[in-house]
Amino acid sequence: MNIELPPLVALLLFPGGLFILFSSTVYEWADRKLVAQFQNRIGPRLIQPVADVVKLLAKEEIVPDGVNPVLFHALPVVALVGTLTAALYVPMAGLKPSYSFTGDLVVTLYLLSLMTLSMGLAGANTIDRFSLIGATRALTQLFSYEAPFLLALLGPAIIAGSWQIAEVDQFARGHWWIVATQPIGFVVAVVGLMGKLELPPFDSPEAETEIVAGPMTEYSGRGWALFRIGRDIELLVGLTLMASFFLGGIANPIEFLLKTGGLLLVTAGLQSLFCRLRIDQTVGLWWRIGILLAVAQLFLLVFLR
Amino acid sequence: MDTQQEPRKTFVVPIGPQHPALKEPGHFEITVDGEIVTAATVRLGYVHRGIEKGVEGQNWAQAMYMLERICGICSHVHATAYALGVEALAGVQVPPRAQAIRVLVAELERVHSHLLWLGVAAHEGGFDTLFMYSWRDRELIMDVLEGLTGNRVNYSCNVLGGVKFDVDQKQSDAIRSAIDFLEPRTHHYLKIVTTDETLIGRTRNVGTLTAEEAERLGAVGPTARASGVARDIRVDSPYAGYPSFPVKTITAAAGDLEAKFIVRLEELFESYRVIREILDNLPPGDLSVRVKPRLPAGETVSRVEAPRGELLYYLRSAGGPNPDRVKVRTPSLCNWGTVLATAAGHKLADVPMLIAGIDPCFSCNDRLVTIRRRGDAETWTWARLRQYGIEYYR
Amino acid sequence: MRIGAMLGDISRSLFKRPVTELYPFERRPTPERLRGHLTFEASRCTGCKICVRDCPAAAIEIVTVDKATKRFVMRFHRARCTYCAQCVVSCNFDALGMSHECWELAALSQDPFRVSLGRPEDIEAMAAGGPAPSAPPAPAVA
Repeated sequence: MNIELPPLVALLLFPGGLFILFSSTVYEWADRKLVAQFQNRIGPRLIQPVADVVKLLAKEEIVPDGVNPVLFHALPVVALVGTLTAALYVPMAGLKPSYSFTGDLVVTLYLLSLMTLSMGLAGANTIDRFSLIGATRALTQLFSYEAPFLLALLGPAIIAGSWQIAEVDQFARGHWWIVATQPIGFVVAVVGLMGKLELPPFDSPEAETEIVAGPMTEYSGRGWALFRIGRDIELLVGLTLMASFFLGGIANPIEFLLKTGGLLLVTAGLQSLFCRLRIDQTVGLWWRIGILLAVAQLFLLVFLR
Repeated sequence: MDTQQEPRKTFVVPIGPQHPALKEPGHFEITVDGEIVTAATVRLGYVHRGIEKGVEGQNWAQAMYMLERICGICSHVHATAYALGVEALAGVQVPPRAQAIRVLVAELERVHSHLLWLGVAAHEGGFDTLFMYSWRDRELIMDVLEGLTGNRVNYSCNVLGGVKFDVDQKQSDAIRSAIDFLEPRTHHYLKIVTTDETLIGRTRNVGTLTAEEAERLGAVGPTARASGVARDIRVDSPYAGYPSFPVKTITAAAGDLEAKFIVRLEELFESYRVIREILDNLPPGDLSVRVKPRLPAGETVSRVEAPRGELLYYLRSAGGPNPDRVKVRTPSLCNWGTVLATAAGHKLADVPMLIAGIDPCFSCNDRLVTIRRRGDAETWTWARLRQYGIEYYR
Repeated sequence: MRIGAMLGDISRSLFKRPVTELYPFERRPTPERLRGHLTFEASRCTGCKICVRDCPAAAIEIVTVDKATKRFVMRFHRARCTYCAQCVVSCNFDALGMSHECWELAALSQDPFRVSLGRPEDIEAMAAGGPAPSAPPAPAVA
């Protein structure tokens, strides 16, 4: 849809700012509810993620010993800012991306990685052993899925002939769904998205039964709330990007809901199916299979145009 | 000072006493080098409640309930072992119907415990879906036990001299329908455990314990049976109703985590078979026989097979209404050595699964252990024990 | 080599109702043998106090209102009871039982946990100043 909203509204209210903050909690709820349904149990109520955030914002934030206080307080903010900014470049809620320029695909992906980077730094910032191990794992995982994920997303960009998300979206709307022509790329992209979001089975940086909460162990109160919101927004932005690239573009809010909802169903199913992979297994998987598949897909594209 | 060879900085990850991986407190110091574990030590004792001392102030009938609460998952076998010991001291013959009912409840408890373990081990590996489904199925057994005994945990089915209640047609039907539902589900879980690629990646060739190591470390129960050591008290020295309803020993050869999964799941099939057999052939008769409040002096050892392994009770009577000494040796205490021996060389991510692999029951095993290599026995008095405790914490 | 061995389970569950019981909005009927609150049949009690002796938690006290006419009141400490039913088994006169309907016993203060069971006239007589109860004192860590 091509509604022109005043820039300040687009930034702060809709489809940026407040809208994203609230709809990301709805997506987190939908994800948890779907996983619960797959596991044959009742999940949380709709307002649960909002209630969590509100409660956390009200709690005392404990700054542990041995951290750099500036970094400790700044990193959650940086993470949140990164994801919020990334949301401006994707067709959120079916509207045209608010701020679009050539090459914003790379910028968006970088901003999403900023989230993971700041989580890793947050873990390295403490002297807590769980956080240190979690930080190592987070950064190792970042290292491994980033390349195949990027290559998989390049597929639609090559077909559309542009590095701008809005143009790829435009292209995807007018043509066959790209998932049909690049199935391998789609698979790599979806699994890569799960790696980026640290969803099971790729949740070893945050493996609850091994390292408590990984890099987030020392965070409480406000910092933790900001990280959580950042994670939810990352989920929303990632789903929007996938739907826009592979599932035929997002033309209006209805399509937005249906397509991102459908993708969420698939990711929730994948979350429930597998045992957690160890970090060395994750790295092995991505650097052996992931990258080969992504490169193969690219070759096919380039030669078969 | 030699500056050319600096000692490696060791990085110790503490698992416990509070840790999401542990259901009960215990302290593991895992020394890691990156992600590889180089050493592991364990410290127990966080759930010590002084039960062995506590039962000395109660009479023989009361003591059973306290001992039953040493553990929630193996509570019935604790009570059974104690009751068997008391009946041996009193010299009474328990009616066969009561012994059969004891075995029935013991096997139902084994089913409940193994399903619980399946869920917990899956959860430690990050496979929450298997955890949810196996615990959903476990609810059936809990309901059956509630209908049969009156409580979901701590069944209190034993009295000194027999059992408290009977198994009638309605209970029998309920048990049968639960087992009929669970058996195909157990086949399904066995298939998942042996074929799902992600789960195999976490369990095959992880924590391999050879048969020699298992013998050397004194492992018991499914931990030992998964390494090929055929040690099962129900078969080696049958007690209660087991002479009439024998079971088969299930072993596996591989000794890794996958073998432990397989052994426990296959034991479930044996339990289902025995439960059906008991329900079909319940001997008629009384439910209990009277045991006098004062037992004659003497001492006895009774051994039973808990879901985790061999459980040993030593009872000593001085001829009074209270027990003189009760000593409990639980199976989890024997199996800790296997975790520490196999942990080195594995990744940190494997450690929670290794710990879960022996099915630890921390509440059971908080005892004082002194390992003496010389072989001459020594008796510690309470005064000496108290002094030891004071010095230990100084 | 199988990936996603639980696919059948999770796809079926997508269309089924969750298995969770919505207690307290839905309550299942409890089994008959559930060991709930103690019931005391005063007419059968002979005051032998075997139940007091055998209770592992010192939850029962028998107050003798009148020994000659066999009027006894039981003071039951609901919070100490472990619901093991040893007293039910020990009683040779079948005076004790465990209800399967009365099992939601949480309370906000200590008073509801001390219950007097027996004939109403006996309880009144006891409250009016009968003899002291006879029971072992509560354990040090009650």
